[in-house]
Amino acid sequence: MDPMEVFKIAVTGEEEFAARKYRELIMDILQDLGLIRSIGRLYVYVDIKKPYFAVYGLLRSGIPPLTVKSVGDVLRVSGGYQIKINDEEHMADLLRVLWEHYGRERVEQPARDIVIIASDTSPSELMVADLEAEFLQDLTDALVRITPEGFRNRRNIITKDSFLFIAAEESLTAEMVSEIKAKIREMENA
Amino acid sequence: MLEPVMFTGGLYKHDLVVELVEDLGGYILQKNVTQTEIILLILVPSEDLAALQGLAKELRGELVRAPLAGTEVAVVTPTLAIHHLPHTACDIAEYLRRHGSKTNMLGLARGVGREIAQINEYETALINEHDAAVFIFGNFRDCIIKKESLYRNMSVPVVVTGGPEVDSKDLPYAFEYVSSIGRVAHRARKATEIGSLDRIVEAVGRALDKTRAAISKDPLTTSPPRIMDAVREQVPDIEFSYSPLPIALNLNGIRVKLPYEAYKDAVKAVTFDEGVKLGEIATVMPSRMKDYILVRILPASETGFVF
Repeated sequence: MDPMEVFKIAVTGEEEFAARKYRELIMDILQDLGLIRSIGRLYVYVDIKKPYFAVYGLLRSGIPPLTVKSVGDVLRVSGGYQIKINDEEHMADLLRVLWEHYGRERVEQPARDIVIIASDTSPSELMVADLEAEFLQDLTDALVRITPEGFRNRRNIITKDSFLFIAAEESLTAEMVSEIKAKIREMENA
Repeated sequence: MLEPVMFTGGLYKHDLVVELVEDLGGYILQKNVTQTEIILLILVPSEDLAALQGLAKELRGELVRAPLAGTEVAVVTPTLAIHHLPHTACDIAEYLRRHGSKTNMLGLARGVGREIAQINEYETALINEHDAAVFIFGNFRDCIIKKESLYRNMSVPVVVTGGPEVDSKDLPYAFEYVSSIGRVAHRARKATEIGSLDRIVEAVGRALDKTRAAISKDPLTTSPPRIMDAVREQVPDIEFSYSPLPIALNLNGIRVKLPYEAYKDAVKAVTFDEGVKLGEIATVMPSRMKDYILVRILPASETGFVF
């Protein structure tokens, strides 16, 4: 069963095999990059005679930025705040943010998972990483990987809740883009 | 007739296998040492195979038939990018290696796309130095048919692989087409996928048999393993070549992995027991692969004798 609500793929000509195989391929790549849960609907349209490859997707609700309090427990201690880190994945980002905000001399790390800050302002709400930006970067990477390799003229239109990725061998024309948009609209309404 | 086999076993006492093969008049084609394990590719006279099997059993080693031993196969992908590698290409290359072939992976410079795919003269010549080639294509039927231009000028048999079923009459320049192995983003692990790899090995085997049959109509003056042995003995610098396989065997010659300019005369001067020099019975020329030496044995119709 697909984890997505809708996943449609259409390929022109006698290419049923390609449609089936690209479905597997897209699932494999999205799963590899951990993106599958963030995409709600996905429409893929391929015209191999022209040739071009288009992917339109609707994104699930935005991902909130990662703050200090979500990677560790923040405690008030004498002379400042202590952060007990639970999620070490973003350790480098966390230290960078703390150094930038408080200055290196006020950030101390006595143990691997403990950081003490000599300040009266709580670091709880500081943003450690912009997960949404990371997600969009990974998404673009996934789309480039999915597209057949020779399709090197690309356009990627990303809005807050959707993306449209078009790749072709020849230069992309306005007619081609509007044709693709119409085809995808048809798939959506079908 | 020489039987190609692969011995896999412990490093300890493996020299007994080497000695026995030499005593039986066979050849050690390749020796791969991986820590305490060793893999030997061997050509042994078929009537003496039982002796080798006995020794392998005694040493707790494994002896299996390696039908592609002594051949070099090119595994060609449209490029070396993530779209084509690693899964399909590496699986095919590895599988061919397990059946004894020396496999080289080749990524074309501009092999991508449907309309824009190209191959240049250098790439064609390099692939033609092999005994057979496997071209790995993707999932679109139309593209597989269209990309025939990439291997149209090959003189070696080309096995084409791709996803969909394609009628062989649509691919007149391919030796054989093997379906259901198109572009995938995971390693071959299902039984059907492994089955497809087996079909590729079988197709490559048939392609090589066709070349062997063509050669047997006008036999080579001598056999490539014999040249390999003579070069190994008389050009001792080959032991200092950094290549894992300093002398690669082809069906119609060998590739010596030493610089052409510095060693061409030494290779031409290699003398056989019959008093014949290698330069007289073979063409020694620069290989397209790095600056190696390519030796192509002349057929009996040109030299007038076979030994």
